[in-house]
Amino acid sequence: MLQILIYGAVSSAIYAMLAVGFTLIFGVARILNLAHGSFYALGAYAAYVLTSLLGVPLFIAAPLAVLIVAGFGVVMERFLVRPLRSSQLAVLMITLAVSLAVEQALFITFGSEYRNVPSFVADKLSIGGVDISGQRLLALVAGVLVLLGLWLFIQRTRLGAAILAVSQDPEAAQYMGIPTNRIFSIVMAISAGTAALAGVLVSPFLTVQPTMGLLPMVKAFAIVIVGGLGSIPGSIIASLILGYSETIVAYLISSSWTELVSLVAVVVTLMIRPSGILGRRAAF
Amino acid sequence: MTDLLEVNGVTKRFGGLTAVKNASFTLKKGEFTGILGPNGAGKTTLFNILTGFMQPTSGTIHFNGDLVRELAPYKVVNRGMARTFQLTRPFVGMNLLENVLVACMSPRASQDKDKEARASYLLAQVGLGGRDREPVETLPYGDLRRLEIARALATRPDLLLLDEPFAGLGSSEIEQLAQLIRRLHREENLTILLIEHKLREFMALVSRVIAMNFGEIIAIGPPEEIVKNEKVIEAYIGKTEDAHAPA
Amino acid sequence: MKRISPIDIAGGIIVVAILALAPMFAASNYLTGVLTVCAIYGIWASSWDFMSGLTGRENFGHSLFIGTGAYTAGFLSSIWSASPWISLPLGVVIAIAFSLLVGFPTLRLRGPYFALAMLSASAILQRLCLIFWEYTGGEEGLYGLDPLIKNPLHYYWFVLAILAVTVIALTLLAQSHWGLLLRAIRGDEATCQAAGINVTFYKIVSLMISAGFAGLGGALYAHYQLQVSPPLFSVVVSITVIIMVYVGGIGSIYGAAVAAILLTLLTEMLRGFGEYRLWIYTLTLMLILFFLPNGLIAPLWRRMTERFR
Repeated sequence: MLQILIYGAVSSAIYAMLAVGFTLIFGVARILNLAHGSFYALGAYAAYVLTSLLGVPLFIAAPLAVLIVAGFGVVMERFLVRPLRSSQLAVLMITLAVSLAVEQALFITFGSEYRNVPSFVADKLSIGGVDISGQRLLALVAGVLVLLGLWLFIQRTRLGAAILAVSQDPEAAQYMGIPTNRIFSIVMAISAGTAALAGVLVSPFLTVQPTMGLLPMVKAFAIVIVGGLGSIPGSIIASLILGYSETIVAYLISSSWTELVSLVAVVVTLMIRPSGILGRRAAF
Repeated sequence: MTDLLEVNGVTKRFGGLTAVKNASFTLKKGEFTGILGPNGAGKTTLFNILTGFMQPTSGTIHFNGDLVRELAPYKVVNRGMARTFQLTRPFVGMNLLENVLVACMSPRASQDKDKEARASYLLAQVGLGGRDREPVETLPYGDLRRLEIARALATRPDLLLLDEPFAGLGSSEIEQLAQLIRRLHREENLTILLIEHKLREFMALVSRVIAMNFGEIIAIGPPEEIVKNEKVIEAYIGKTEDAHAPA
Repeated sequence: MKRISPIDIAGGIIVVAILALAPMFAASNYLTGVLTVCAIYGIWASSWDFMSGLTGRENFGHSLFIGTGAYTAGFLSSIWSASPWISLPLGVVIAIAFSLLVGFPTLRLRGPYFALAMLSASAILQRLCLIFWEYTGGEEGLYGLDPLIKNPLHYYWFVLAILAVTVIALTLLAQSHWGLLLRAIRGDEATCQAAGINVTFYKIVSLMISAGFAGLGGALYAHYQLQVSPPLFSVVVSITVIIMVYVGGIGSIYGAAVAAILLTLLTEMLRGFGEYRLWIYTLTLMLILFFLPNGLIAPLWRRMTERFR
């Protein structure tokens, strides 16, 4: 029982980190970013290159990896997505092209074999008789801290207020003198950064390989549809639902069946309440 | 004569704002009625509710004796209630004929076997005859309104709802369009409900007025009574400097 | 509606004739095989274009229909030893069933739900093939399918004929009143509603048609390769098809088929580049998005034949 509680929380935290960035950039800039999974994969690979190949200490490598990927996201938004923003279809196509290009680039550079990243914390902890690796616990703690930080950032800072304003009404925000394009860049950086952080954190205990971004992205879609496109609290709730139901399914039936959970969740949501749990309101 | 449309206690709230408050009225077959009200009085919201594009928060709508609330917009059209949009929405990349043809494919138009001929006839009816192959992009505003009307007529409506057909038109265009609408009402035996916020064009056309202000119906009656109604005068004269004041 | 002009018919006949005779000049089973794959991609691309090109609802998981069609053939022929001729109709039926499963909940909604659901569904099905490996053969997939027609050249002609029928049927549909409605849906759904048109119905039926042809292509592919494997469901297959349609010119159908054939041939020529092949594809897509938003093949053909119309 306790095992489900802890492992479910870890999955939920990772999913939430992925989904929040995906829904944020949609809510604010109306960009449906199909390259979101690439950020996750790039984060993991950046951690691998920095630690295993260049020998950079982990506590420097992790933030560095996040920064690199955030920069990649900003460049992608500025030079590839922004010129095509007038057409929703073109945005979908270009972000998809980016995700394929990234996957192929990783494949060509690193080959398809699995890569290993050393653990940040080697210790195993025991909570109430349940063994859990320190790395998983770190992912959980980091996830919660990131979400909390993001919430405070948006609620308490001027920049956060501007992001909120753009998500509610981009045109009005522009009239009020908010530089929407700069906001898009910032949100893209946050979105790419959180996804990369998730990739960095899971890299020691999940397999690092070129196609690793696709499935988490599908999960992010599912979460965002269940939670409501563009709603951050909705995607956090949906992350919890999905994280826990997958853990329960894995525990009770078999881990092979977990892939079906997100599919069922999406279909049920679309049938019963297509706008998602929290509907399509502002980002917060 | 039976009531064609019966609106009972329709209310629509958006969050804290009540856009339409407890609206009730009826339309008889063959009547030509106008909804009058300043901008933001809830006229277009009411239209959207009647035609199924929005669901009311509460209240009922009966059309031809059937409850039409919660029907999808296309189903409302297929019961015989067709509308035009204030901001015309033609299908870009198609010619005039194709624009009307789309509506000729609706179930109510199934009796029209030769769709092209029917669409061409309707274009002629609204004064766009002989221009079937013209692209829709180059059409002036007044002609776009005519195209909207032709498309609505293609669905063979019993009730035609016109959303501010005169908005943005010059005075000669208004006169011609008013003639067209009057002729349709007379010759095609159409019941018409028309939204307008300018009094002048309006009073000459309609036989009955529903006056709205701040989401509420404030008066119903023939035009000559409405212009004397105190509430209406207050709603309009209260801001005489407004360009939409009575002429 | 728009009549198909004689020059288009003439062009079509010439292209089909060249394709049919091509293996005669350089008689090699390799070339025949490549051309067979060309024709199958032509079926996939034109069927994608019919739904997504006309209605503007972008389907990011065409491989779902391709894969289900192919796996239907795989199960029937390799496991239950059914006659390969049953694979074709059943592949169509199963693909259509999947189109209803995804299309029904998502096509009535506005927004990107349909695109996301298609992409997710194909990715999940690919995973399921690996998870239930006892039944699907896992990574290796199913093999030992019976060929439909033993002679490769005859099989190629058969597939080419099906491609021709597909393009003709879909073009006629696109030029009919039906196609007009689909294009109207692409333009403005609210206006369609105001015109009394049940847009959801038309979108779902067009997806069913699209899925049916894609499933047929999938079954044909399975009986050409004589095996099926999970990459048939992959996003890469869907994207390849979409790139073909983009190069061909969205909504033209014949352009998609021609582009599919040319790009498949090009892919074969680029085989030497190995891993870089997909890179080149992705780059092509980006360049087209930026510089040729209307595509290449169909606009070019229209320009060339302008004075014969």
